[in-house]
Amino acid sequence: MGKGLNKTWLKAHLGSLLSYGGLVLCIIVFSILSQGGLWSAYNIRILFQGVCVYAIVSMGAVFIYSMGYMDISVGAQIGVYCLLCILISNATGSLLLGFLSILCIALVCGLINGYVAVMLGLPSIVTSIFLNSIFGGVQMLIMEWQGTNSISIEADMSMFKGTGSMVAAIVVIAAISVYLYKFTPLGKYVQGIGANETATKLCGVSTTKWKVIAYAFFGLCIAVGALFLTARTGAAGKGTGTGYAMDIMVALLLGGMPLSGGMRSKVSSALIGSFTYVILTNGLTLAGVETSYMYVIKAVIFLAIIVITCRKKDGILPR
Amino acid sequence: MEEILLEIKHMNKKFGSIVALKDVDLTIRRGQIHGLIGENGSGKSTITSIAAGMQQATSGEIFYKGKPWKPTSMVEAQRHGISMILQEANTIEGCTVAENLFAGQEDQFSTLGFFNTKKLNKAADDLLKKFGLDFIKGKDIITKYGFEERKLIEIVRAVTDETEILVVDETSTALSFDGRKILYKLMDQMVAKNKAVIFISHDLDEIMEHCTILTVLRDGEIRGEISKEEMNQPGSIRKIRELMVGRDIGDQFYRSDYDVSHGKDVVLEYRNVSSNNIKDFSLKLHKGEIIGIGGLSGCGMHEIGRMAFGLEHIDKGSVVCGEKAVETPTQAVHLGIGYISKNRDQEALILNGSINVNIELPSLSSLQKHSFVSPKKARDLVNEEISLMEIKCESGNQWVNTLSGGNKQKVSFAKWIAKKSDIIIMDCPTRGVDIGVKQSMYRLITDMKREGKAILMISEEMTELIGMADQLLIMKDFKVKKTFMRSPDLKETDIIEYMI
Repeated sequence: MGKGLNKTWLKAHLGSLLSYGGLVLCIIVFSILSQGGLWSAYNIRILFQGVCVYAIVSMGAVFIYSMGYMDISVGAQIGVYCLLCILISNATGSLLLGFLSILCIALVCGLINGYVAVMLGLPSIVTSIFLNSIFGGVQMLIMEWQGTNSISIEADMSMFKGTGSMVAAIVVIAAISVYLYKFTPLGKYVQGIGANETATKLCGVSTTKWKVIAYAFFGLCIAVGALFLTARTGAAGKGTGTGYAMDIMVALLLGGMPLSGGMRSKVSSALIGSFTYVILTNGLTLAGVETSYMYVIKAVIFLAIIVITCRKKDGILPR
Repeated sequence: MEEILLEIKHMNKKFGSIVALKDVDLTIRRGQIHGLIGENGSGKSTITSIAAGMQQATSGEIFYKGKPWKPTSMVEAQRHGISMILQEANTIEGCTVAENLFAGQEDQFSTLGFFNTKKLNKAADDLLKKFGLDFIKGKDIITKYGFEERKLIEIVRAVTDETEILVVDETSTALSFDGRKILYKLMDQMVAKNKAVIFISHDLDEIMEHCTILTVLRDGEIRGEISKEEMNQPGSIRKIRELMVGRDIGDQFYRSDYDVSHGKDVVLEYRNVSSNNIKDFSLKLHKGEIIGIGGLSGCGMHEIGRMAFGLEHIDKGSVVCGEKAVETPTQAVHLGIGYISKNRDQEALILNGSINVNIELPSLSSLQKHSFVSPKKARDLVNEEISLMEIKCESGNQWVNTLSGGNKQKVSFAKWIAKKSDIIIMDCPTRGVDIGVKQSMYRLITDMKREGKAILMISEEMTELIGMADQLLIMKDFKVKKTFMRSPDLKETDIIEYMI
């Protein structure tokens, strides 16, 4: 009996074991490969700079992926928010105003994603493609209108640059996410929508309303993420935000998030995944792997995780 | 004695540490409809699925037509004459009826490498006609047809001229009166051709009527074999039930009282509701009243239930609860209505989710305080329901898809009891549930009435409606044909004529 129990325990926790194991493995392998370079004070700072945006945005994304939805507009949204934040704060001299305005836009996008998709009966991926194109276009337009390749921020953003403030931001967003996920109905509802939307609806849950709330929180996370990205780079241009949608998906997968959402979704996937992903990227660089090979390696890892974690019955791929 | 067709000797089957079959011996003879009966998880389907090649036994032997038999797949078994009609829907969506019928045999319909769709459709139509299903057309996309028609299409696919043993596993619960007639006719034809049928069903009456021999299983063991003569003796039903459950459950099955009084307050009212085919439907449900709605599948009774939960588009009139019209499920739940869907696995339960989540989901909105839900309160609520409903599980963390059918149904009941809903609409509440669980459900429903809850009970089983309802509406062709009041003299035969 003890053996049988062990087996079921193993089965239920296989996902977490794999993701935690992956993180530990990454740390060990790259600590050796980089001859301790991974742990230099300078590199730790670099690591947190990388993790900060990924962790914040992917914690918001957890709520969307839990419903079995995907979002590919994150990158374009981040790009536009960075630009707008810089433009507005440069024009008005107030960083706060810049941040508040991108927050408003992000919330409106959440509304479009959640509400309009339901009204028009569209799958979420379609609205996400739509938003991706719109934001991509807006980003191009702004840059053409500005006539330069990049715009720098004039306001002082040093308070968002330090490792301490980044860690604090991650902790605050993580605390809010865990609270929403574990201690309010939102978490159960988004998981329910992912696992069986009809049954959730028949429990009296207004799925539209909670979808909008989930997307609104996602929007908030993107806006905060964009703020920290602006602080780190100090400028934004045409390429800002490119690749983020894919990176966040890979990070969540590495953290053990099933792409089909449902009851196995966890907020911790975002944190574990972001750290694993950043250490992986950073470690490969330290180990002297050329950037051009990096894409291939990432692609192989992406495929490998899907093959390992995708069981036939409750597959991790979205419907 | 007729010739032995299939013989199972000392069969054992284990799933991990769980023993599904214990030293089972079973003999199937030609010209017999051999019934298998037992509670959920007693091993009925395990035996047949091993004989039909879906899985392998852990130990033991099978002899088929006198030779050792070890099929490795369903296709192999079917080719050698053992076909199985399954409990779950098993058709390929997005394909035509003809393509479904001849899946895997497309080669016969191609000429010079070109696929001849006309020939395929023609063959399908001929085959369907042979089974008396002229209303199904081979060229139609399968999704055009409802669950029941698809089940019939599966039957047509399973049975060929070469079929020696037909396994019918809980198929009849998915079929209406007409569908069942077709199935029974087919079973009789098999017998007439000196072949055999293995018939698995929960419905004791159905089993008694059609089987020539009956094997009772409990906990993976054979508990008794009953011949036709023994079945015809008085008191046989009680004896079979005792064999199945392992204790005498008594005659007390349904409600014992004939007290039709109920509260004065109307809690749910249909005011001249029209929706699709249903025209001008009116009904008043009072506090502490059980109203039963019966009829054949497709008579519109399921829609009546769905209307009161905001699941059907209402053209005219309204369903009113507490002076408010019910328009969406969210509203309905808020007004104290609970709905137990007929499609348990699709609509009532999150299969890939824990018992905890399933039971607490409707209640979260009432548990929250300024959007904070105490995990302890939620856990306590669930545990209370688990012990009240006697759900057999390790803990509330166990996933619902690992539970047996009866326990799953208990979970979908528990949701609304936890929510303390005052009005409960139950659509086929005891479908696919064994008698032990059935009895406890009926007791629960009786208690609910006593507590003043209003119940709308929609069912295809007339006996349970007669046994439970204060007032019984019989529907046919989307209209109420007849209303009966609760009475000890009411018999199923009085009702049938209004249904068909």
